[in-house]
Amino acid sequence: MKDLISLDSLTDIVSNSVGILIIFAVINLIHDNNKTYQLEIPLEHETDLSPVFFISKNDRVLVIDTDTFFANATSQATSKAAINKRLFSLEYFGLLGKIDDKKGISFFARDTSDWPEFKEIEKRSSPLRDSLDKLDPTKQFAYFFVYDNIEDGSSSGSGFEAFRKTREYLKSRSIKSGWQPVNSESPANICSRSFSRRCVYQPSYLGGDSSSSSNFNDKDKSAENVQ
Amino acid sequence: MSRATRYARYQRDDRLEISLFPFLSIFLCVMGVLSFINVLSSFSAPQKIELTAQLETGYKVAYQIFSLPDGIISVPPTKYLRKLQAVLDDADKETVDVIIQQREQKTARLKTYTGSIMDAAIEPDIDDILDTIHDIRTLNELALKANYLYEEFILFGIYPNGSQSYQKIRDVMSLTQDSAAISIGLEPLDSNWTLNLKKSPSK
Repeated sequence: MKDLISLDSLTDIVSNSVGILIIFAVINLIHDNNKTYQLEIPLEHETDLSPVFFISKNDRVLVIDTDTFFANATSQATSKAAINKRLFSLEYFGLLGKIDDKKGISFFARDTSDWPEFKEIEKRSSPLRDSLDKLDPTKQFAYFFVYDNIEDGSSSGSGFEAFRKTREYLKSRSIKSGWQPVNSESPANICSRSFSRRCVYQPSYLGGDSSSSSNFNDKDKSAENVQ
Repeated sequence: MSRATRYARYQRDDRLEISLFPFLSIFLCVMGVLSFINVLSSFSAPQKIELTAQLETGYKVAYQIFSLPDGIISVPPTKYLRKLQAVLDDADKETVDVIIQQREQKTARLKTYTGSIMDAAIEPDIDDILDTIHDIRTLNELALKANYLYEEFILFGIYPNGSQSYQKIRDVMSLTQDSAAISIGLEPLDSNWTLNLKKSPSK
Protein backbone atom coordinates (compact mmCIF):
# COMPACT_ATOMS: atom_id res chain seq x y z
CA MET A 1 0.00 0.00 0.00
CA LYS A 2 2.81 2.32 0.81
CA ASP A 3 3.97 2.32 -2.80
CA LEU A 4 0.61 3.42 -4.21
CA ILE A 5 0.00 6.92 -5.46
CA SER A 6 -2.00 8.93 -2.93
CA LEU A 7 -5.77 9.01 -3.57
CA ASP A 8 -6.23 12.29 -1.68
CA SER A 9 -6.43 14.51 -4.76
CA LEU A 10 -8.75 12.17 -6.60
CA THR A 11 -11.06 11.86 -3.60
CA ASP A 12 -11.02 15.61 -3.19
CA ILE A 13 -12.05 16.24 -6.79
CA VAL A 14 -14.66 13.48 -6.81
CA SER A 15 -16.27 14.61 -3.55
CA ASN A 16 -16.33 18.24 -4.68
CA SER A 17 -17.94 17.33 -8.01
CA VAL A 18 -20.47 15.02 -6.42
CA GLY A 19 -21.31 17.58 -3.75
CA ILE A 20 -22.04 20.20 -6.39
CA LEU A 21 -24.14 17.70 -8.36
CA ILE A 22 -26.17 16.90 -5.25
CA ILE A 23 -26.75 20.61 -4.59
CA PHE A 24 -27.91 21.00 -8.20
CA ALA A 25 -30.23 18.02 -7.82
CA VAL A 26 -31.77 19.42 -4.63
CA ILE A 27 -32.23 22.87 -6.19
CA ASN A 28 -33.77 21.25 -9.24
CA LEU A 29 -36.14 19.24 -7.07
CA ILE A 30 -37.27 22.30 -5.12
CA HIS A 31 -37.74 24.19 -8.36
CA ASP A 32 -39.75 21.32 -9.84
CA ASN A 33 -42.06 21.26 -6.84
CA ASN A 34 -42.95 24.90 -7.41
CA LYS A 35 -43.53 24.42 -11.12
CA THR A 36 -47.04 24.56 -12.52
CA TYR A 37 -47.80 22.90 -15.81
CA GLN A 38 -50.40 24.45 -18.06
CA LEU A 39 -52.63 21.93 -19.73
CA GLU A 40 -54.06 23.30 -22.91
CA ILE A 41 -57.56 21.97 -23.31
CA PRO A 42 -59.59 22.13 -26.51
CA LEU A 43 -63.14 23.42 -26.28
CA GLU A 44 -66.22 21.62 -27.54
CA HIS A 45 -67.83 23.19 -30.54
CA GLU A 46 -70.74 22.68 -32.87
CA THR A 47 -70.03 20.84 -36.09
CA ASP A 48 -71.73 19.48 -39.18
CA LEU A 49 -69.46 16.45 -39.12
CA SER A 50 -70.99 13.13 -38.14
CA PRO A 51 -69.58 11.18 -35.19
CA VAL A 52 -67.88 7.81 -35.43
CA PHE A 53 -68.00 6.21 -32.00
CA PHE A 54 -65.16 4.52 -30.17
CA ILE A 55 -64.90 2.91 -26.74
CA SER A 56 -61.62 3.02 -24.86
CA LYS A 57 -61.02 0.67 -21.95
CA ASN A 58 -58.13 -1.36 -20.51
CA ASP A 59 -55.65 0.18 -22.98
CA ARG A 60 -57.80 -1.02 -25.86
CA VAL A 61 -59.90 0.86 -28.39
CA LEU A 62 -63.00 -0.47 -30.11
CA VAL A 63 -64.58 1.18 -33.13
CA ILE A 64 -68.35 0.90 -33.00
CA ASP A 65 -69.93 -0.04 -36.28
CA THR A 66 -73.24 1.68 -35.54
CA ASP A 67 -75.13 -0.20 -38.28
CA THR A 68 -74.26 -3.60 -36.81
CA PHE A 69 -74.52 -2.29 -33.28
CA PHE A 70 -78.05 -0.96 -33.68
CA ALA A 71 -79.17 -3.91 -35.82
CA ASN A 72 -78.11 -6.21 -32.97
CA ALA A 73 -79.64 -3.91 -30.37
CA THR A 74 -82.95 -3.85 -32.24
CA SER A 75 -83.09 -7.63 -32.53
CA GLN A 76 -82.30 -7.99 -28.83
CA ALA A 77 -84.60 -5.21 -27.68
CA THR A 78 -87.61 -7.51 -27.67
CA SER A 79 -85.91 -10.01 -25.39
CA LYS A 80 -87.24 -10.49 -21.88
CA ALA A 81 -84.14 -8.98 -20.31
CA ALA A 82 -84.40 -5.85 -22.43
CA ILE A 83 -88.09 -5.39 -21.69
CA ASN A 84 -87.39 -5.75 -17.97
CA LYS A 85 -84.63 -3.13 -18.26
CA ARG A 86 -81.96 -5.62 -17.39
CA LEU A 87 -78.62 -6.07 -19.13
CA PHE A 88 -78.74 -8.00 -22.37
CA SER A 89 -76.02 -9.05 -24.77
CA LEU A 90 -75.56 -6.89 -27.84
CA GLU A 91 -73.53 -9.65 -29.47
CA TYR A 92 -70.96 -7.09 -30.39
CA PHE A 93 -67.44 -7.52 -28.95
CA GLY A 94 -68.78 -8.44 -25.53
CA LEU A 95 -70.86 -5.30 -25.10
CA LEU A 96 -73.96 -5.44 -22.93
CA GLY A 97 -76.91 -3.13 -23.43
CA LYS A 98 -79.66 -1.71 -21.28
CA ILE A 99 -82.73 0.27 -22.22
CA ASP A 100 -82.71 3.63 -20.48
CA ASP A 101 -85.76 5.91 -20.47
CA LYS A 102 -83.64 9.06 -20.36
CA LYS A 103 -80.64 8.12 -22.45
CA GLY A 104 -81.88 5.64 -25.04
CA ILE A 105 -79.68 2.59 -25.10
CA SER A 106 -76.84 2.45 -22.59
CA PHE A 107 -74.04 -0.01 -23.10
CA PHE A 108 -71.43 -1.55 -20.88
CA ALA A 109 -68.04 -3.01 -21.73
CA ARG A 110 -67.06 -6.03 -19.65
CA ASP A 111 -64.78 -8.34 -21.58
CA THR A 112 -62.32 -6.39 -23.70
CA SER A 113 -59.97 -9.22 -24.64
CA ASP A 114 -61.19 -9.18 -28.29
CA TRP A 115 -60.60 -5.46 -28.69
CA PRO A 116 -57.53 -4.10 -30.47
CA GLU A 117 -54.78 -2.72 -28.23
CA PHE A 118 -54.02 0.94 -28.75
CA LYS A 119 -50.34 0.17 -29.39
CA GLU A 120 -51.44 -1.28 -32.74
CA ILE A 121 -51.71 2.29 -34.00
CA GLU A 122 -47.94 2.31 -34.34
CA LYS A 123 -48.04 -0.67 -36.69
CA ARG A 124 -48.31 0.21 -40.35
CA SER A 125 -51.11 -2.25 -40.94
CA SER A 126 -53.44 -3.19 -38.16
CA PRO A 127 -57.24 -3.40 -37.90
CA LEU A 128 -57.33 -0.39 -35.54
CA ARG A 129 -55.14 1.80 -37.71
CA ASP A 130 -57.01 0.76 -40.83
CA SER A 131 -60.34 1.75 -39.28
CA LEU A 132 -58.87 5.09 -38.13
CA ASP A 133 -57.45 5.73 -41.57
CA LYS A 134 -60.89 5.20 -43.10
CA LEU A 135 -62.26 8.30 -41.33
CA ASP A 136 -62.92 11.21 -43.63
CA PRO A 137 -61.90 14.51 -41.96
CA THR A 138 -64.31 16.48 -44.16
CA LYS A 139 -67.32 14.40 -43.12
CA GLN A 140 -66.57 12.65 -39.83
CA PHE A 141 -65.06 13.11 -36.42
CA ALA A 142 -64.18 10.56 -33.74
CA TYR A 143 -66.12 10.47 -30.49
CA PHE A 144 -64.72 8.41 -27.62
CA PHE A 145 -66.41 6.87 -24.61
CA VAL A 146 -63.46 6.63 -22.24
CA TYR A 147 -63.58 4.35 -19.20
CA ASP A 148 -62.20 6.12 -16.15
CA ASN A 149 -61.96 3.19 -13.75
CA ILE A 150 -58.51 2.82 -12.25
CA GLU A 151 -56.50 -0.39 -12.27
CA ASP A 152 -54.35 -1.43 -9.34
CA GLY A 153 -51.04 0.43 -9.27
CA SER A 154 -51.99 2.77 -12.09
CA SER A 155 -52.37 6.52 -11.79
CA SER A 156 -54.51 6.80 -14.89
CA GLY A 157 -58.01 5.72 -15.91
CA SER A 158 -58.08 2.43 -17.77
CA GLY A 159 -58.98 4.09 -21.07
CA PHE A 160 -57.15 7.40 -20.69
CA GLU A 161 -53.83 6.47 -22.25
CA ALA A 162 -55.40 4.67 -25.20
CA PHE A 163 -57.65 7.69 -25.79
CA ARG A 164 -54.75 10.14 -25.67
CA LYS A 165 -52.63 8.16 -28.10
CA THR A 166 -55.51 7.56 -30.52
CA ARG A 167 -56.47 11.23 -30.36
CA GLU A 168 -52.90 12.27 -31.16
CA TYR A 169 -52.87 9.95 -34.16
CA LEU A 170 -56.19 11.34 -35.38
CA LYS A 171 -54.95 14.86 -34.91
CA SER A 172 -51.95 14.14 -37.09
CA ARG A 173 -54.47 13.15 -39.76
CA SER A 174 -56.51 16.36 -39.20
CA ILE A 175 -59.45 14.46 -37.77
CA LYS A 176 -61.33 16.11 -34.94
CA SER A 177 -62.27 14.18 -31.85
CA GLY A 178 -64.42 14.55 -28.77
CA TRP A 179 -64.93 12.42 -25.70
CA GLN A 180 -66.76 11.81 -22.48
CA PRO A 181 -65.75 9.78 -19.43
CA VAL A 182 -67.85 6.72 -18.65
CA ASN A 183 -67.91 3.84 -16.19
CA SER A 184 -70.37 1.21 -15.00
CA GLU A 185 -72.33 3.80 -12.97
CA SER A 186 -72.34 6.40 -15.76
CA PRO A 187 -72.48 4.18 -18.83
CA ALA A 188 -71.96 5.15 -22.44
CA ASN A 189 -75.01 5.75 -24.54
CA ILE A 190 -75.84 6.65 -28.09
CA CYS A 191 -79.04 8.51 -28.73
CA SER A 192 -80.52 11.25 -30.81
CA ARG A 193 -80.68 14.90 -29.76
CA SER A 194 -84.41 14.82 -30.42
CA PHE A 195 -84.64 12.16 -27.70
CA SER A 196 -82.83 14.14 -25.01
CA ARG A 197 -80.80 17.35 -24.76
CA ARG A 198 -78.00 15.32 -23.20
CA CYS A 199 -77.64 13.34 -26.40
CA VAL A 200 -75.05 15.68 -27.85
CA TYR A 201 -71.74 14.51 -29.26
CA GLN A 202 -69.38 17.31 -30.13
CA PRO A 203 -65.74 17.35 -31.14
CA SER A 204 -63.50 19.08 -28.66
CA TYR A 205 -60.23 18.62 -30.38
CA LEU A 206 -59.04 20.69 -33.26
CA GLY A 207 -57.77 18.53 -36.04
CA GLY A 208 -54.56 19.98 -37.42
CA ASP A 209 -50.94 19.35 -38.10
CA SER A 210 -49.06 17.70 -35.31
CA SER A 211 -46.34 20.35 -35.28
CA SER A 212 -48.70 22.95 -33.89
CA SER A 213 -50.34 20.57 -31.50
CA SER A 214 -49.90 20.11 -27.80
CA ASN A 215 -49.61 16.70 -26.29
CA PHE A 216 -51.41 15.93 -23.11
CA ASN A 217 -49.83 12.79 -21.87
CA ASP A 218 -47.51 13.07 -18.93
CA LYS A 219 -44.40 12.59 -21.00
CA ASP A 220 -45.07 15.06 -23.75
CA LYS A 221 -47.46 17.48 -22.21
CA SER A 222 -47.00 21.10 -22.96
CA ALA A 223 -45.29 22.47 -19.95
CA GLU A 224 -44.75 26.01 -19.06
CA ASN A 225 -43.57 27.41 -15.81
CA VAL A 226 -46.12 30.00 -14.90
CA GLN A 227 -44.79 30.85 -11.50
CA MET B 1 18.27 9.82 -13.28
CA SER B 2 18.61 6.12 -12.71
CA ARG B 3 15.71 3.80 -12.03
CA ALA B 4 17.01 3.22 -8.50
CA THR B 5 17.01 6.94 -7.77
CA ARG B 6 13.47 7.37 -9.13
CA TYR B 7 12.27 4.40 -7.13
CA ALA B 8 13.94 5.82 -4.08
CA ARG B 9 11.82 8.99 -4.37
CA TYR B 10 8.74 6.95 -3.53
CA GLN B 11 10.39 5.32 -0.58
CA ARG B 12 9.10 7.08 2.46
CA ASP B 13 9.59 6.61 6.10
CA ASP B 14 7.20 4.39 7.91
CA ARG B 15 4.28 6.51 9.14
CA LEU B 16 0.57 6.20 9.92
CA GLU B 17 -1.44 5.56 6.73
CA ILE B 18 -5.20 6.14 6.73
CA SER B 19 -7.13 3.92 4.39
CA LEU B 20 -9.62 5.83 2.22
CA PHE B 21 -11.65 2.77 1.37
CA PRO B 22 -14.24 3.05 4.21
CA PHE B 23 -14.69 6.74 3.49
CA LEU B 24 -15.22 6.17 -0.21
CA SER B 25 -17.56 3.29 0.49
CA ILE B 26 -19.79 5.31 2.83
CA PHE B 27 -19.60 8.33 0.54
CA LEU B 28 -20.71 6.39 -2.53
CA CYS B 29 -23.48 4.69 -0.56
CA VAL B 30 -24.85 8.06 0.61
CA MET B 31 -24.58 9.44 -2.89
CA GLY B 32 -26.43 6.44 -4.32
CA VAL B 33 -29.23 6.70 -1.76
CA LEU B 34 -29.60 10.45 -2.38
CA SER B 35 -29.75 9.93 -6.14
CA PHE B 36 -32.31 7.14 -5.67
CA ILE B 37 -34.50 9.34 -3.46
CA ASN B 38 -34.19 12.15 -5.96
CA VAL B 39 -35.24 9.97 -8.89
CA LEU B 40 -38.04 8.37 -6.86
CA SER B 41 -39.46 11.69 -5.73
CA SER B 42 -39.36 13.10 -9.23
CA PHE B 43 -41.59 10.20 -10.34
CA SER B 44 -43.95 10.09 -7.40
CA ALA B 45 -44.26 13.80 -6.55
CA PRO B 46 -47.57 15.22 -7.78
CA GLN B 47 -47.29 17.63 -10.65
CA LYS B 48 -49.17 20.85 -10.23
CA ILE B 49 -51.34 21.73 -13.15
CA GLU B 50 -53.51 24.56 -14.31
CA LEU B 51 -56.12 24.18 -17.01
CA THR B 52 -56.12 26.62 -19.89
CA ALA B 53 -58.00 26.46 -23.13
CA GLN B 54 -56.30 25.70 -26.38
CA LEU B 55 -55.93 28.83 -28.49
CA GLU B 56 -56.90 30.87 -25.43
CA THR B 57 -56.42 34.57 -25.79
CA GLY B 58 -55.85 37.11 -23.06
CA TYR B 59 -59.47 37.98 -22.35
CA LYS B 60 -60.79 34.41 -22.11
CA VAL B 61 -60.74 33.02 -18.61
CA ALA B 62 -61.28 29.45 -17.45
CA TYR B 63 -63.57 28.41 -14.62
CA GLN B 64 -61.82 25.19 -13.59
CA ILE B 65 -63.81 22.26 -12.23
CA PHE B 66 -61.91 19.17 -11.15
CA SER B 67 -64.04 16.05 -11.07
CA LEU B 68 -62.90 13.45 -8.54
CA PRO B 69 -64.42 10.22 -7.21
CA ASP B 70 -65.72 12.03 -4.10
CA GLY B 71 -67.08 15.08 -5.86
CA ILE B 72 -65.76 18.25 -7.43
CA ILE B 73 -63.32 21.03 -6.65
CA SER B 74 -64.25 24.33 -8.28
CA VAL B 75 -61.58 26.93 -8.87
CA PRO B 76 -63.36 30.11 -9.98
CA PRO B 77 -61.38 32.83 -11.73
CA THR B 78 -61.17 36.31 -10.26
CA LYS B 79 -58.60 37.52 -12.76
CA TYR B 80 -59.68 40.61 -14.68
CA LEU B 81 -62.99 40.84 -12.77
CA ARG B 82 -62.03 44.08 -11.01
CA LYS B 83 -61.08 45.58 -14.36
CA LEU B 84 -64.41 44.46 -15.79
CA GLN B 85 -66.18 45.94 -12.79
CA ALA B 86 -64.51 49.30 -13.36
CA VAL B 87 -66.11 49.72 -16.80
CA LEU B 88 -69.66 48.84 -15.70
CA ASP B 89 -72.43 51.08 -14.46
CA ASP B 90 -73.27 51.20 -10.73
CA ALA B 91 -76.01 48.56 -10.72
CA ASP B 92 -73.86 46.11 -12.63
CA LYS B 93 -70.86 46.90 -10.44
CA GLU B 94 -72.81 45.64 -7.44
CA THR B 95 -73.71 42.44 -9.24
CA VAL B 96 -70.09 41.78 -10.14
CA ASP B 97 -68.97 42.71 -6.63
CA VAL B 98 -71.22 40.03 -5.13
CA ILE B 99 -69.82 37.44 -7.56
CA ILE B 100 -66.23 38.47 -6.79
CA GLN B 101 -66.80 38.19 -3.05
CA GLN B 102 -68.39 34.76 -3.37
CA ARG B 103 -65.56 33.55 -5.54
CA GLU B 104 -62.86 34.95 -3.27
CA GLN B 105 -64.48 33.23 -0.31
CA LYS B 106 -64.55 29.97 -2.22
CA THR B 107 -60.89 30.30 -3.21
CA ALA B 108 -59.89 31.30 0.33
CA ARG B 109 -61.66 28.21 1.71
CA LEU B 110 -59.67 26.03 -0.65
CA LYS B 111 -56.39 27.75 0.17
CA THR B 112 -56.91 27.42 3.90
CA TYR B 113 -57.99 23.80 3.63
CA THR B 114 -55.78 21.73 5.86
CA GLY B 115 -54.65 18.44 4.41
CA SER B 116 -54.35 17.35 0.84
CA ILE B 117 -56.22 19.68 -1.49
CA MET B 118 -57.47 16.65 -3.40
CA ASP B 119 -59.51 15.68 -0.33
CA ALA B 120 -61.41 18.97 -0.53
CA ALA B 121 -63.82 17.62 -3.13
CA ILE B 122 -67.49 18.05 -2.35
CA GLU B 123 -70.56 16.43 -3.84
CA PRO B 124 -71.89 18.69 -6.62
CA ASP B 125 -75.05 20.42 -5.49
CA ILE B 126 -77.69 21.20 -8.13
CA ASP B 127 -78.37 24.72 -6.84
CA ASP B 128 -74.65 25.51 -6.68
CA ILE B 129 -74.18 24.34 -10.25
CA LEU B 130 -77.10 26.43 -11.47
CA ASP B 131 -75.78 29.49 -9.59
CA THR B 132 -72.32 29.00 -11.04
CA ILE B 133 -73.65 28.72 -14.58
CA HIS B 134 -75.86 31.75 -14.04
CA ASP B 135 -72.91 33.80 -12.72
CA ILE B 136 -70.77 32.90 -15.71
CA ARG B 137 -73.55 33.85 -18.09
CA THR B 138 -74.15 37.12 -16.21
CA LEU B 139 -70.47 38.09 -16.37
CA ASN B 140 -70.20 37.24 -20.07
CA GLU B 141 -73.34 39.26 -20.87
CA LEU B 142 -72.23 42.25 -18.78
CA ALA B 143 -68.85 42.24 -20.52
CA LEU B 144 -70.57 42.08 -23.89
CA LYS B 145 -72.93 44.91 -22.94
CA ALA B 146 -70.04 47.10 -21.83
CA ASN B 147 -68.10 46.15 -24.97
CA TYR B 148 -65.31 44.86 -22.74
CA LEU B 149 -63.21 41.91 -23.87
CA TYR B 150 -63.93 39.27 -21.26
CA GLU B 151 -65.33 35.77 -21.56
CA GLU B 152 -65.52 32.91 -19.11
CA PHE B 153 -65.84 29.26 -20.02
CA ILE B 154 -65.75 25.99 -18.11
CA LEU B 155 -62.87 23.53 -18.18
CA PHE B 156 -63.32 20.12 -16.61
CA GLY B 157 -60.37 18.09 -15.40
CA ILE B 158 -61.55 14.48 -15.11
CA TYR B 159 -59.63 12.33 -12.65
CA PRO B 160 -59.90 8.52 -12.65
CA ASN B 161 -63.31 7.45 -11.31
CA GLY B 162 -64.45 11.06 -11.54
CA SER B 163 -66.98 10.69 -14.33
CA GLN B 164 -70.09 10.56 -12.13
CA SER B 165 -69.68 14.11 -10.82
CA TYR B 166 -68.95 15.32 -14.32
CA GLN B 167 -72.02 13.60 -15.76
CA LYS B 168 -74.15 15.06 -13.00
CA ILE B 169 -72.98 18.59 -13.78
CA ARG B 170 -73.56 18.11 -17.50
CA ASP B 171 -77.02 16.73 -16.78
CA VAL B 172 -77.84 19.83 -14.73
CA MET B 173 -76.34 22.09 -17.39
CA SER B 174 -78.59 20.54 -20.01
CA LEU B 175 -81.60 21.69 -17.98
CA THR B 176 -80.77 25.38 -18.07
CA GLN B 177 -80.60 27.84 -20.93
CA ASP B 178 -77.83 29.68 -19.08
CA SER B 179 -75.32 27.09 -20.26
CA ALA B 180 -76.23 27.38 -23.93
CA ALA B 181 -73.65 30.04 -24.73
CA ILE B 182 -70.91 28.83 -22.39
CA SER B 183 -67.97 27.04 -23.97
CA ILE B 184 -66.84 23.81 -22.36
CA GLY B 185 -63.64 21.79 -22.49
CA LEU B 186 -62.63 18.59 -20.74
CA GLU B 187 -59.46 16.62 -20.31
CA PRO B 188 -58.55 13.34 -18.60
CA LEU B 189 -56.13 13.82 -15.70
CA ASP B 190 -53.91 11.29 -13.98
CA SER B 191 -54.22 10.88 -10.23
CA ASN B 192 -50.66 12.18 -9.61
CA TRP B 193 -51.54 15.55 -11.12
CA THR B 194 -52.76 18.02 -8.56
CA LEU B 195 -54.24 21.46 -8.90
CA ASN B 196 -52.35 24.65 -8.26
CA LEU B 197 -53.86 27.17 -5.88
CA LYS B 198 -50.80 29.21 -5.01
CA LYS B 199 -51.31 31.70 -7.78
CA SER B 200 -52.85 34.70 -6.13
CA PRO B 201 -55.87 36.10 -7.86
CA SER B 202 -55.19 39.20 -9.85
CA LYS B 203 -57.09 42.29 -8.98
